[in-house]
Amino acid sequence: MNVFKHKRRRGPKLGTKLMLLGLLVLLIPTWINYRQLIEMERILIQAQSQTQLKTAQGISTLFNGREDLFQNLPISLDDYEALFANPMQDPIRFDGKDSDWEELSGKFRTFGLDAGSDVDAGFRLTLGERAGQLNVLMKVNDQDLVLRDQGMLRLDNADHVRLNFIKANGEDARVVLTFPDNGIITAYNMDKEWKFSETGPPEKKFHGYVQQTDTGYLLEFRMPLDLLGSRRYFGLSFVDVDDIKTRKVRAITQTLPKSNKVGFNLVVLRSPELLNIVEGLGYAGARIVVIDSEKRVRAQTGGLSTLRSTTPDTNWIARVRGWLEVFHPYIKKMVGTGDITIPAENAESITNQLIESSLAGDPAVLISRAMVLLDAGSISKADRPKLAQEIIMAAHPIVSENKILGTVIVEQNIDEIVSFQRNALEQIVVFSTTGLLIAFVALLLFAGRLAWRIRNLRKETSRAIDERGRLITDTLKSEINAGDEIGDLARSVSGLLSKLHQHNNFLENMPRTLRHEINNPLNTLSTSLQNLAEETPSIRESKYIESAKRGVLRIGAIVQNLADAANLEEALESEEFEIIDVQKLVENYVANCNISHKNTSFEYSGTSSPIYAQVSDYRIEQLLDKLIDNAVDFHVSDSSIKVQVSAYRGYMQITVANRGPVLPNSSEQSLFDSMVSHRRDGPQNKLHFGLGLYVVRTIAQYHGGNVRAMNLVDGSGVAVVVQIPLATTASRDPSSAITAHATDRTPVASKTPVASKMSVASKTPAVGKPQASIQTL
Amino acid sequence: MPKLIAIVEDDPDQRANYAYAITKKGYEVQAYASREEALLGFDKQLPDLVILDIILGDEVDAGFQICRDILSRSPSLPVIFLTERINEIDKISGLRLGAWDYLSKPISLDYLAEKISSLLRLGEVSSTQVSASDNVKVIGHLSLDQDALLLTWKNQRLDLSGTEFRMLAKLVKVPGHAVSYESFMNATMQSLVTNNTINTHMRNIRKKFEAIDPEFDCIKSEYGFGYRWIKQ
Repeated sequence: MNVFKHKRRRGPKLGTKLMLLGLLVLLIPTWINYRQLIEMERILIQAQSQTQLKTAQGISTLFNGREDLFQNLPISLDDYEALFANPMQDPIRFDGKDSDWEELSGKFRTFGLDAGSDVDAGFRLTLGERAGQLNVLMKVNDQDLVLRDQGMLRLDNADHVRLNFIKANGEDARVVLTFPDNGIITAYNMDKEWKFSETGPPEKKFHGYVQQTDTGYLLEFRMPLDLLGSRRYFGLSFVDVDDIKTRKVRAITQTLPKSNKVGFNLVVLRSPELLNIVEGLGYAGARIVVIDSEKRVRAQTGGLSTLRSTTPDTNWIARVRGWLEVFHPYIKKMVGTGDITIPAENAESITNQLIESSLAGDPAVLISRAMVLLDAGSISKADRPKLAQEIIMAAHPIVSENKILGTVIVEQNIDEIVSFQRNALEQIVVFSTTGLLIAFVALLLFAGRLAWRIRNLRKETSRAIDERGRLITDTLKSEINAGDEIGDLARSVSGLLSKLHQHNNFLENMPRTLRHEINNPLNTLSTSLQNLAEETPSIRESKYIESAKRGVLRIGAIVQNLADAANLEEALESEEFEIIDVQKLVENYVANCNISHKNTSFEYSGTSSPIYAQVSDYRIEQLLDKLIDNAVDFHVSDSSIKVQVSAYRGYMQITVANRGPVLPNSSEQSLFDSMVSHRRDGPQNKLHFGLGLYVVRTIAQYHGGNVRAMNLVDGSGVAVVVQIPLATTASRDPSSAITAHATDRTPVASKTPVASKMSVASKTPAVGKPQASIQTL
Repeated sequence: MPKLIAIVEDDPDQRANYAYAITKKGYEVQAYASREEALLGFDKQLPDLVILDIILGDEVDAGFQICRDILSRSPSLPVIFLTERINEIDKISGLRLGAWDYLSKPISLDYLAEKISSLLRLGEVSSTQVSASDNVKVIGHLSLDQDALLLTWKNQRLDLSGTEFRMLAKLVKVPGHAVSYESFMNATMQSLVTNNTINTHMRNIRKKFEAIDPEFDCIKSEYGFGYRWIKQ
């Protein structure tokens, strides 16, 4: 049994503790690295912001005082409706599909659609500029499509588009785009009435495509920007004809301002001069945007490089990094300084603030997560959310005397700057993770081995002492050669055990030594007394001689008993066991008790059938001797001693009960230790060492059984219950014998009594908790 | 001529007491305190009976050595061990050496004297080869010659030690009657005898019978009382 078995709340195991500590030790450097990286990024971004601001300042210096560059546009647009022609990266295919207009999606204006998006004759207009051409996309709502009848000279009797602009030479120009058939557009210079072609043949500078759709027309066309001259006054109307018979103009939706004062729109384009200057300044990975005081983009160059170079690495770090790709978002989130991360939706207003503050005269820097200002055309819409990223924007105002002409914004992707830092973080993560794993496994192994060694040591130490505290071995084998502290512990425990063993040996041999040492003087005493009596006949009859002889005998008996008890276990080793009918033995024994104890009466109750157990009959007799002696010593005179034999599944039970003084509480087990006697008011005149019940226990345990003493239920006396396992096979009379069916020799607890009728008042007799089966005597 | 009894005992008091008591019974006594002394004495004259203590001074096995020595000179010499070493193993090795009996201290001097006389008689019997005596008791297959200490079972001779012989004689005195432990204790002629000692002796007797007759089942235990001889 485990001598260390205390009911104690167990703390974390050694291995767990070691691992937690190890993790802490490993995590601290990782955390420090991480903090370092964060700081590094902050510094880098700050430095970059400053650089960008300087760049913006530098560029703005170029424009300082160059009012002329900004003056080719009316500074005030009060009288005009502006049509913005956005720069386009890719060429347009005139095929009736708007898919190649993706980059300008959302940048349209509507006309005639105030009441709803499907108003007849209303349209959406998108203007783009590329390579000196003005690209126009119109999506026209028209329920009844009337194409041009080529047989008629009048051009205003079908759906058509009118263009009004001022040519470079200052003349008014009127051009009509007619749709002779699906896909085809034809342009004509018109007379002032918009009825007939002025020149006759079609105008070739207009090129485009019309596509009839469910809701109307999809019209795309281009015209050279030179046609518009430098001021770019421009008007556009859709003329709707619905009745194919009357061919009357039903509605005209035009882009011209409502006031119609001047009659033209203004196509606002980037200033080429500005663009030229700015383009020369562009550098890789940055975008430079020049904005005028009216917040119109006047020039833009460069693009945010967003795609990381993906040179495939072949070394193992790269491979591990490949696995770590999944962690990229988290790493970014970790590294990204949260306080300046702005949701993309708010980016526009934030950018506006930046521009406004810059236009107010203050240089400003902003770090924003967004695709801000004019989006780079190369990014398709589908990729946009993925590539939305943090950029640094630096804005510096352009001043002229005391006027602010506009601002220069330099944008650069943070990713560019921090990518190497993120790579470093990834490497740290890779190395830390690998290191952590290795250290973790090593710690696990170490802790496991340590715990295993300690556990082994504990087990062996526990095994060194049996449940009654006797030493079984005097040395430990495990860990005895280990050089570390556990080895020291093992050696120390082993030394302790061997010292304890020596002491135990001394104690065990004590009765023998004592007997040996006492017997010689006792013999001298005894023989001297005999000789004295022989020599002096006059004192032979003296009562003192007799009492001296009795004294000698008693000392001899004491020493003999002690030695016998000490030798009992050794003596039991040589005992021969045979299967006998214990019931018969006990019955016989009790019958003889009535002869040997004349003044005491005995009552026996047993089973009708034999109970076979594998026992040493002399030892059972000795056991009964001790039980009966004990009962006789303590019984109340005139009461009878009750002996009962009963059998249960797997074990038999011998109960000896007497009326008399009861046991004090909590002494029921210690009673069976040697030299322990509890019943204080027992007989004083008899040899009484408390060895008897020790002998009983030793014999019972040697038979694989146990013994308990308990007070009777009614408190009138004491019962001692011995339980011994039954023989596993009945060699004599299996048909009627009570034997165990179980194969184990040890008694099994809580078995149903086979012969419960035999017990007088037994509740659930079991080896574990025997009941005093005698309540009244 | 009185018989010469040799006593080897290192304790002077006990030695003197033995010598006094045995002399009183009419024997001549030679007492020795050590092994050397004893062997020197035996060189001069061999005694008729030797009483040996096992531990002599510092020599823990001196008694056994003397026994071996003297029995090599005179194999039929009766030797009694009288010792405080009463472990089973000592008893067995003593008897195995050829000792006739093994007595434990403290001893009753009367018993000792009786033991001496019976052993001397037995020695005489064996030396004179007088096999048949008048005092022979026959119970069933058992015949018991109390003078010659001869015992046969189914006409086969059994060798019992003196104590065992006396116990068996007690057991068969009235066949069929139970004999108590107490009676057996008296028969052993030792002062301190426990039930266990009786049981051990009885078992040895049984084994000796069973050795020549596996069917032997005449000695019955009366648990809590003693033994009973029943006829087979």
